Amino acid sequence: MKTLFLEAPYEKKIQLDPGLLDYLKKNNYLRLGLFASIQFMDQLAQVKELLHEFTLITTKVPRTMHEGQLLGCNTYALNTEDVDCYLYIGDGNFHPLALVLGQKDNKGLKEVICNDPRGEMKILTIDDIKSSLKRYRGSLVKFFTCKNIGVVITIKPGQEQFRPSLALENKYPDKKFYYFIDNNISFNQLENFPFIETWVNTACPRIGFDDQEMFRRGVINLTDAMIAEKLLTQESYLNR
Amino acid sequence: MYKLELEKALDKIKEVNANTVCIQLPDGLKPRANEIEEAIKKETGARVIIWLGSNFGACDVPLGLDRLGVDLLISWGHVKFCKTEGWP
Repeated sequence: MKTLFLEAPYEKKIQLDPGLLDYLKKNNYLRLGLFASIQFMDQLAQVKELLHEFTLITTKVPRTMHEGQLLGCNTYALNTEDVDCYLYIGDGNFHPLALVLGQKDNKGLKEVICNDPRGEMKILTIDDIKSSLKRYRGSLVKFFTCKNIGVVITIKPGQEQFRPSLALENKYPDKKFYYFIDNNISFNQLENFPFIETWVNTACPRIGFDDQEMFRRGVINLTDAMIAEKLLTQESYLNR
Repeated sequence: MYKLELEKALDKIKEVNANTVCIQLPDGLKPRANEIEEAIKKETGARVIIWLGSNFGACDVPLGLDRLGVDLLISWGHVKFCKTEGWP
């Protein structure tokens, strides 16, 4: 079977919020980490022209096709040293929240400014994920102290991480890992396995953050499970 | 608000000579599934199956379509996902 992806590009012209440039200047934000979701990528060149007074920094992460493309799973290891803030072109909170989550292990936090294509600006801060981070830290502590761990794996080819998850056994030889496989995670099935003390998510990392409430016994993502001790001891927003 | 790029879809169906096509849409475009189905049927004669479930990204394509004889999956709203082993 062949597959064709169609990007469904935004059909109108992207507008910048009338107050955006003043806001950036007022805050001395001169180096902008510029991102957009795929629907807006084809207009990024025009957006760059509108922002010509600023230094624009775009990066390409391994899972994306284009430089500057933002995916919701871009939640890890944002190097923030080169930018004064992030500017996201697109709608909704799902994608830009990845830029906030990507800074959870940093000492400082750079603002994430979202410019809706209709020309409205809003700012995401650590407050938008504060309660999620608090719960997540609690789950990290729980993972560290629990013996019976459920590892959730999806059969979605793009998200499946069964083999990498086996590394948990070497890293934590005193824990017992049980492996569960599903397509979309069946949250209502989790309670049918009461011997599981806490969960490790290996599917989309946003499940481990955005759907924490669905895991009554707590959940952390695979990457964080592998470095749980470091995450709990280093100076970071997560530990504030 | 978003372009469906139907011409690209129709060209691909003709190029691969698909008889059965599955269309996968993000929630915001799902209400336009009938528009897409009718265009494909009219222009190519292919049978269209509409994916009911999620479309979280290019990492989330339907499984098992081969067994139904689907020749082509057209997924809107995303671009090819370059999977890496492990996270990040």
